[in-house]
Amino acid sequence: MPVAAFAQTPPDILVSRQLAESEHLTVGTIVSLAVDAAGTGAREFRVAGIYEPTPDPARLGVVPRAVRLHLPDLLDLTRRADVLAGTEYVSSVNVALTNPAEARTFARDVNARLPGVLARPATEAAGAAGPFQVLERFHLAIAIVTIVAATVFLLALTIMLVDERRETVGVLRLIGLPVRRILVQILLEGLLVAAVGAVFGLVLAVLSEQLINTFFQWRYDTALVFVRVTRDVALTSVSIAVPLGASATVVASWALLRRSGLRLARR
Amino acid sequence: MNAVGFAWRSLVRQPARATLGIVGVAAVGALLFDMLLLSRGLIVSMQDLLDRGGWDIRVSAGELPVDSRFIPNALDAAQVIAALPSVEAALVIREAEAQVDRISGPPLRASFQGVTTRSSTSVGSALRAPWTIMRGRDAEQPNEVVVDTDVASSAGLEPGSQITMRASCLSDLEALPVTRLQVVGIAEFPFESTSENTIGGTFDALQAACGGNIGAGANLILVRSTGDPDAATAAIRASQPGLRAATNTEVLGQVQRTGFTYFRQISSVLTTVTVSFAVLLITVLLTVSVNQRLGEIAALRALGFSRTRVVKDVLAESALTVGIGGLLSLPLGLLLASGLDRILKGMPGIPAALHFFVFEPQALVVHVALLVATALIAALYPMRIVSRLPIAATLRSEVMG
Repeated sequence: MPVAAFAQTPPDILVSRQLAESEHLTVGTIVSLAVDAAGTGAREFRVAGIYEPTPDPARLGVVPRAVRLHLPDLLDLTRRADVLAGTEYVSSVNVALTNPAEARTFARDVNARLPGVLARPATEAAGAAGPFQVLERFHLAIAIVTIVAATVFLLALTIMLVDERRETVGVLRLIGLPVRRILVQILLEGLLVAAVGAVFGLVLAVLSEQLINTFFQWRYDTALVFVRVTRDVALTSVSIAVPLGASATVVASWALLRRSGLRLARR
Repeated sequence: MNAVGFAWRSLVRQPARATLGIVGVAAVGALLFDMLLLSRGLIVSMQDLLDRGGWDIRVSAGELPVDSRFIPNALDAAQVIAALPSVEAALVIREAEAQVDRISGPPLRASFQGVTTRSSTSVGSALRAPWTIMRGRDAEQPNEVVVDTDVASSAGLEPGSQITMRASCLSDLEALPVTRLQVVGIAEFPFESTSENTIGGTFDALQAACGGNIGAGANLILVRSTGDPDAATAAIRASQPGLRAATNTEVLGQVQRTGFTYFRQISSVLTTVTVSFAVLLITVLLTVSVNQRLGEIAALRALGFSRTRVVKDVLAESALTVGIGGLLSLPLGLLLASGLDRILKGMPGIPAALHFFVFEPQALVVHVALLVATALIAALYPMRIVSRLPIAATLRSEVMG
């Protein structure tokens, strides 16, 4: 709740953008914070800034109405009457090392010297089952099914398209072109079509990237980026799509090319 | 021969392309089916978990469904709640940390749930904790516990075994003596995540395990109303203004608004993409197929097949491809759903009994409706081609070609 008058400058706090918007808080506003709805032990703070909360996929859909205080201010505000100052606990301590490569050794040392404290390198904190990793595996599984479906359709299409050209292939065989020469031509055509298709797909992905991010960021009021077409993603897509497209063309043509030229050219 | 029979022969005549088309539809259909199962799966599964045991109201000290704050004087509060006319029974749940000794290996960390029922009726007093007994029986005496399957397998326990544990109810720093209790059953705990180990017993058993040092607080009170959960919730809120009470439907509504929206949104996006993909590809397959048979179709028209009839043939071919593929997509989709469910359940904190993909007849109806729409829309353009086919010009072009 904003408070109009104050005797001395209260401690600074930061408020999340979402809280600032919902409560119409601006930089410089004096607010009163308490540990419960009854206002027990309420203290005044000054909004020194508004921050964008770090997006957390595990809390998607929850509007982050959050306040950041200096730790001593938070402890003063939340300390129970029967707890001595300085004996409170904190849930976690982040440590920045001068040499980040020593994170694992440092964590091992802390665990050995401070029983009851668990130290872990930040890279391992999320574990193998963190929400990001699980979502990544889920999306990968969906992508694999999509690729399988697309491959099957592609094969069906190429069989039809190759069949459409059976007479042409038959004539080429009759005028003396060896199977290998025709196959190379078909492979090159397949590569060209697959490359154009892959580029078109990438353009479509880049265009839809903005659309999807805008929609989901609006829907969840978050800065979380949902879709990002990175260089690696683009390269992976092309490296799957182009060989797949070319292979489908060659596989579909192979059955046709095994037949004799006369049989192919016959109407 | 009717249109379906004719379309069937057209498909059989080109087995490779027909098979590939059907397999493609089956793969896309499986993904579509899974996205439909995902769209409401979590909600249905969560509802099932909340309703287990017949408890229809949850009372907590903080935000529901999950909050770490303790309900102060929980036993007294439960007694007052149970005495309300709209309430049949109240079940107090108190959790504590426990370490279970094993014959080999380090002690197993587990959560010990102690429960006690308060009710003014004999029916209410007989109500039990929301866990499901898989083997053996429920714990009833202060020296009895039930354990989950993970604890049972890790510590080599069976109904009838003795379990040795150290429980700490108030602080992790407590140094409590070893307690020996008897395992009387193996149970499934509804909200236990895959990485958790849980032990259940009576409040007295927990008190015994903690050396009587249990305090007056509890984590949660489950309430069963006499039939009107909304009225009972209102009565609880009035009698316990310091606590939060919510019906299972309200908890589910909150979860629906916050926790699982991502999966609903992603399922909507993927459903749209999948259906568009299927429409596009079947349209292309049918169009190419029709274009290759223009001469044949023109000949049929010349022989007396009506325009409507050849249009029906194309529609029937589309329906057969999508129909057979759609049928195959159901078992394929269920198989894929179990794999995807396993992946998503790897998320930290997800209850082991919660499922992301849950079959509902409603999902099947939507699946069938979307496939019918796909077959119709995909056939529109090729149907237009055959309906406007100039018979004489096409035949002449075929002969000249």
